[in-house]
Amino acid sequence: MVKKVISLLLVLLMGGLTVGTVTSHADVTVYTPLTGLSVTPGEDIEYSVDVINDGNEIEHITFDVEGLPEDWDYSITASGSSVSQLSIRPNREEDILVAVTVPLQVEKGTYEFDLIANGNGDNRDALPIVVNVTEEGTFKTNLTVEQPNMQGHADSTFRYSTTLKNQTAEQQHYSLISQEPQGWNVQFKADSKGVTSVTLEPSEEKTVEVVVTPAENATADSYTIPIQASAGATSSEIELEAVITGEYGVNLTTPDGKLSEDITAGRDRKIELVVENTGTVDLTDIQLNSSTPPRWEATFDNDTIPTLEAGQSTTVTATLTAPDDAIAGDYVTTFRVETAEASSEANFRMSVKTSTTWGFVGVAIILIVIGGLYYIFRKYGRR
Amino acid sequence: MKLPNLNKIMERFQSTEKKESNPSVFWSIVRKEFTDYLTSWRIIILLLIIVLTCVGSLYTVIVTIKEALDATEQAKEIAKDSHLFLKLFTSSDGSLPPFITFVTFLGPLLGIALGFDAINSERNKGTLTRLMAQPIPRDYVINAKFVAALLINVVLFFSLGFLVMAFGILLLGLPITFEEFIRIICFLSLCIVYIAFWLNLGILFSVRFKQAATSALAGIAVWIFFSIFYNMIIDFISKSYLEAVTSAEEMVNRQGVLLNLMRLSPNYLFSESTTTLLSPEIRSLGPLTMEQTVGALAGPLPLGQSILLIWPQLTGMIAATLICFAISYILFMRQEIRTN
Repeated sequence: MVKKVISLLLVLLMGGLTVGTVTSHADVTVYTPLTGLSVTPGEDIEYSVDVINDGNEIEHITFDVEGLPEDWDYSITASGSSVSQLSIRPNREEDILVAVTVPLQVEKGTYEFDLIANGNGDNRDALPIVVNVTEEGTFKTNLTVEQPNMQGHADSTFRYSTTLKNQTAEQQHYSLISQEPQGWNVQFKADSKGVTSVTLEPSEEKTVEVVVTPAENATADSYTIPIQASAGATSSEIELEAVITGEYGVNLTTPDGKLSEDITAGRDRKIELVVENTGTVDLTDIQLNSSTPPRWEATFDNDTIPTLEAGQSTTVTATLTAPDDAIAGDYVTTFRVETAEASSEANFRMSVKTSTTWGFVGVAIILIVIGGLYYIFRKYGRR
Repeated sequence: MKLPNLNKIMERFQSTEKKESNPSVFWSIVRKEFTDYLTSWRIIILLLIIVLTCVGSLYTVIVTIKEALDATEQAKEIAKDSHLFLKLFTSSDGSLPPFITFVTFLGPLLGIALGFDAINSERNKGTLTRLMAQPIPRDYVINAKFVAALLINVVLFFSLGFLVMAFGILLLGLPITFEEFIRIICFLSLCIVYIAFWLNLGILFSVRFKQAATSALAGIAVWIFFSIFYNMIIDFISKSYLEAVTSAEEMVNRQGVLLNLMRLSPNYLFSESTTTLLSPEIRSLGPLTMEQTVGALAGPLPLGQSILLIWPQLTGMIAATLICFAISYILFMRQEIRTN
């Protein structure tokens, strides 16, 4: 009887064990909601994965990724640390973080891989994950500029804002090279500091300002300046365009550069003026005028110059008349030359001398008095 | 005091027979008069007053300027371009009037003191007739008295002026420029001309008035009139004269008239001339319209232009001096000497 009972118990126990073994096949489950993500090359994908233990004993789980394409990388972390094995108590679940790195150089398309969780014995579960790479991946450097064409005078500075992007998987040291025309000056600026090279992490981009100073005597033309960012295996090149427009310039001076003259009050004075075209373009319809103290008069022998070629100069004679009551000393008189495009002025310091006419009258008066005195001496002196 | 001296001269020339002009005789009288002036207490006291006041005012100015100069290095650079030496004569620190004010005020007094008893004291003492008895031309007396007094002035003002320049260089440590030097020489000559005018006025009064006291009082009256009352009278006139002015042009004209009235005073002529000479920045002496000043640049005038500016004043002063002398000369030559 006792034996019967024991055997029954054993059978029951065995049966229970058998049932336990059957159900324990699906004890470990891995689950993530995001099984089909779309990414771009170079992006990291992070999957938050739940690992569930439905069984009644502690499961020691290791993970594996199967079918991951070459060059792709992954890492598994839990609670912030990398894990190689995870133990889960019965009827509990744990979170792990699976990070998959999509390489930069990857073809567009759909990639599949499985996340495998190996539990005790042959307890295992596979989670199929689909990654859709939406773009063609590259291994290259990208130097771009939004506005490659600029226009200005020879004395202006051209500032191009270029963007350099490292689209390789490695850190790159780019040296910045320009091929400017002779006499021109090109300077690179990153973060408003002058630089000759920049270092970029993978996928990093930086704004590099290219400051172009044209040659002083640059003639009106369109100039192309190739700019290159090169780092060993990879490089990128763009062409910047600077359009120099003709410059208008006029200068008013005197033949010897002296800007002061004497003038006697009430008289006039001829002043030679030189009008120079200092620009790179011909000037037309050049007007001469003056601003003088009140009641002074200034006239020009010709107050309009019809045309003046670039680099040429011409002479104009101005006649300045001071009023009678101008006080002795210095006055300022301004001569101005104007065209529609440019103007120049010359400030003259006119030293007014008063007329010596009255001086002679004074001398005459004194002479008359002395003469009278002499006459008196002669008449009365020798008695 | 003059009596024995003149007697000596007379004795000296009693032997000379010729009545023709003899320069050595003339210069002997000048030398004698010069010595008389230098030994007369009246003149010594006046000279001392002038020297002391002028030196006092110059000293205070030099000390003030020196302090300003030592304050910064920059000041020295500025001073080099700003005719600092001329400022010695025109500026003051407030405690004492400047040099030119003293000269304007005390100069006439010196001139009158030198001239007021030139002829009448000789006449009163009876020495004039005795002098005339000698074989010397009559005009030698008045000419020599004038020249001797003028020499006193020349010596006084040139020594004062050169002393100031020398002390200026020593104390300020700045070299004097050529233009400053010429301006100071012109200023000193101007002082001499000015005092010569008052001297001649004194001589004129001494010829005209028999009593020395009358002539002295007349001279001092003229001096006080021009130094004090003339300004008051002009001020009084200008108040009513400028009252009903409607236009700017009329204002300028009337101001010009008042200015010309002021210029009848030798004191005013002198102060105008000296300030122009010693302040090269002064460009005009009359009223100015806005039209004349627009566009004008501040800057010193060259010496020639400064002199040209005060040329009428100079002419007036020199002419007045000479005319005064001519009148006294004629009066003296036509006077009857032997009556008293």
